[in-house]
Amino acid sequence: MERYRPSAMRQQKSQTIPQEPNLVPIMNLFLTIIPMLMMMVVISQIALLALNFSQGEGGVTTGGGGGGGGPVTEKVEIHILGKNYAASTNFLGMEIREPGVATKNIPAINGFYDYPSLDKALQEIRSRKGDLNDITVLVHPDVLYGDLMKTIDLCKVHGFSQVHYSAPKVQYY
Amino acid sequence: MHITDKLSSSNKSARRVRRKFEEAKSLSITSLLDELTIILVFLVKNISTEAVKISSDPAIQYPTTITNDELLAKGVATPIKIFPDRIVVGTEALEYGSPADLLENPKKRQDLITYLSAEVNSILQQKDAETCLLVQADYSIPCDYITEIVRAGTAAGYSYIYFATLEDADWLQKYNLSLAQQ
Repeated sequence: MERYRPSAMRQQKSQTIPQEPNLVPIMNLFLTIIPMLMMMVVISQIALLALNFSQGEGGVTTGGGGGGGGPVTEKVEIHILGKNYAASTNFLGMEIREPGVATKNIPAINGFYDYPSLDKALQEIRSRKGDLNDITVLVHPDVLYGDLMKTIDLCKVHGFSQVHYSAPKVQYY
Repeated sequence: MHITDKLSSSNKSARRVRRKFEEAKSLSITSLLDELTIILVFLVKNISTEAVKISSDPAIQYPTTITNDELLAKGVATPIKIFPDRIVVGTEALEYGSPADLLENPKKRQDLITYLSAEVNSILQQKDAETCLLVQADYSIPCDYITEIVRAGTAAGYSYIYFATLEDADWLQKYNLSLAQQ
């Protein structure tokens, strides 16, 4: 028979429920860090469009295309014509110039550039020139930045990885 | 103490037994802690100093593009923000002036080239760093100003120029629809 010991009873009484670890400091830390990080987080992450320079080109070239002797290069140019140009020529839109090919005009629709037609034209060029990577975008001074970006974007979509930026010398008569 | 009291207190049946109250259960915060840990890990993973440096500005209406070029791994970018009424230059967001100053004020144009050249020199002091100019412009800015910025950037010695946009894979379809509705 087990003997009863009064001291054992005392010991039982002193036993308490095991204490949980104190999480309050770590909670405080989290509650400080998380709002700080949420303030820093960028909700709308921006995309980037890289601009390429050809050799000997100083970023922005100025000129009207064409050129003299030397080997004929497969130079495709997209001219984005501005409203000031349209005032003198009655044509607002874009032109695609290729050596040996008639200039393709893409007129604007109700004052807005026709990007779906440009998309088709670039697709057609890509089907003819599968290994061409370079294309030049010549933009008139009064063309909006958004229209320039859309044009460069379509060029990149169709695999023209080297998009050159050029500003033509514009003379209005 | 009276004897009767003594007798009554010794009577076991009459002894008052104090009821033992159950201890109130503490609120378990373990699940909350787990959730906070997940959020913290997610935020730490997604955050980067570069993203902060080239974060989008709510005052700029960015053009949308399908493609998204990656910034060079060793590229150190100098941002230039062109708002319709002002230009802000560098990571310190220094006020430059109005976009018109780029075309009309030769001194201010030279100041910009000088500043950008100093930025290029400081970037090149870092090992293997590539100089990148990041143009963040509003959709409605005429390209004349963009051309001047690109000219200034290349004159200062930047090797790469990037334009900031918002990625939208469907912009052409949306544009096509809006053209058809007109």
